[in-house]
Amino acid sequence: MFGEVRAVDDLSVSIPEGAIGLVGPNGAGKTTFLRLLLGLVRPTTGTAKVLGHNIAEGIPVRERIGYMPEHDCLIPDMTGVGLVTLMGRVSGLDADTAISRAHDVLQFVGVEEERYRKIAEYSTGMKQKIKLAQSMVHDPQLYIFDEPTTGLDPRGRTEMLDLVRVIANSPGRNVVLSSHLLPDVETICKYVVILDGGHQIAAGELSQLLSGAADRLRIDVRGDRVAFARRLQETGVEAEATPSGVHVTRKPGVEAAIFEAAKALGAEVRYMGREIRSLEEFFLELVERSEAVVGV
Amino acid sequence: MSISLPTYTRREIPLLGRRHRLRAIIVTGLRREFKRPAAIVTTGLGVGLVLVTSIVIVLFRGLFIPGQPLDLSFFIVPASNQAILFFVTLMASVVGSGLIAEDLNSAALTLYLSRPITHADYLIAKAAILSPLIAMIAVLPLVLTPFVAALLGLFSWTVALEAMGLAVLLGFLFTAFYTSVTLLLSSLTRRKSYAAAGVFAVTFGLSIPATILSLSIGNPAFLYLSPWEDYLAVAQAAFGASARQLDWPWALAILLAATIVASFVTYLRMKAVEVVSG
Repeated sequence: MFGEVRAVDDLSVSIPEGAIGLVGPNGAGKTTFLRLLLGLVRPTTGTAKVLGHNIAEGIPVRERIGYMPEHDCLIPDMTGVGLVTLMGRVSGLDADTAISRAHDVLQFVGVEEERYRKIAEYSTGMKQKIKLAQSMVHDPQLYIFDEPTTGLDPRGRTEMLDLVRVIANSPGRNVVLSSHLLPDVETICKYVVILDGGHQIAAGELSQLLSGAADRLRIDVRGDRVAFARRLQETGVEAEATPSGVHVTRKPGVEAAIFEAAKALGAEVRYMGREIRSLEEFFLELVERSEAVVGV
Repeated sequence: MSISLPTYTRREIPLLGRRHRLRAIIVTGLRREFKRPAAIVTTGLGVGLVLVTSIVIVLFRGLFIPGQPLDLSFFIVPASNQAILFFVTLMASVVGSGLIAEDLNSAALTLYLSRPITHADYLIAKAAILSPLIAMIAVLPLVLTPFVAALLGLFSWTVALEAMGLAVLLGFLFTAFYTSVTLLLSSLTRRKSYAAAGVFAVTFGLSIPATILSLSIGNPAFLYLSPWEDYLAVAQAAFGASARQLDWPWALAILLAATIVASFVTYLRMKAVEVVSG
């Protein structure tokens, strides 16, 4: 809690190994969740364990975590290799190991030639890579990436996602990816936790969350979606208009009812198929539902 | 393009302890400072000028301070050298003012505190960067002066050693005060220049009005506001020189209390800074 504000409430989740996406609108509690993971704040009630360590312990937790912050946080008058080495040593590596690993990770992220230049002279993309490198230098078990593609051009974004994917797919390494860019999360993560208003509104394997029930259809119509759903309901079909389309429960003769409704309204059916949503669609549905509940 | 994650054969090597981690911050911090011309010039000029003026005073004591007895009380003269105050203030503003402010400004604090160290560790490391630099001006010349005087046979080794011991204690008191106050000021702003101005304000903004007020109103108690006057009162008592207007126990208590309070407030301030922001 921050003063009277309860930033994260009733969050009970067991996160498996692998790549986990953390998504939610602004103020959802993502940052507070990251602070909890890093052991920088303690929950007012409840407990949490990261890699088997209680977060209240702080230091043992952070020894096993590599954190890549969202904002620019590099020391401008240091060289890339100097900063990454320093962060390795502050994490507990001896000087020789820290230097050796700093060179390794800088090579991995692709800042090899420029490593002896001052960070102030780096481009945004190179700075992002240095932030990634400093999170890797002590070879942590858990990586926390906070908006890793912020400010990058399409090429830089692809490169960064490739690097994150390599880390996420490496055995013994786990990734928590917090991002507003849901396609990034969808690309990298197998598991997702969705927060809104400090509450967990969904958590689970991405493939399961995004695939709807087999008895549901998603219809994409060009025209008045709400009127289309209402028309279907009038003919006895269970239908719901959402930002991602009109969702219909299968039953005999439903296809004919759909096309009749479209014809009657002058709407065009552009897609009809099994309900498979993008993370963005799923997320918008959840947030809309969550807001509706609060409104009630 | 094919990329692969570096693998380490020494992955299972246990990480070194907190003392090692702090040492890394301190050594890197000192190296960074000694790459800055301002810090090098301040250190060189500060140590050199304070040392030279102190030794000149010792060598030409009959000329500068006729009638000054050649016992322990003589060493109040180099200890009250105004160049110490000036260069300590300059060092604190040139180096110390940016130690936390620059980390706040660049958000490098996030990098440090997301590592396995505590807020207190971070502050200790920052204090350990600044304090040796201040001590080079506040302690080193005052220790070297009696040493040189004894080498030249101007004072007995007994007196010189006693003076060196007292110089260490007094210098550390002054160093601790300026280190903690400077770090407090540095933690309150993202702009190094504001913190540097604050250091000068603490030194001269307190000392000059305190002197004027005490003279115009005729109440020496105003001098307690000046850290330099408090330091001089303690130094006078330590070297057994003739008593000044201030009671040394009060002056000592004020310096110690200010040091402790400033350190505590800095710690609270750092705890309040949001390391991970969204």
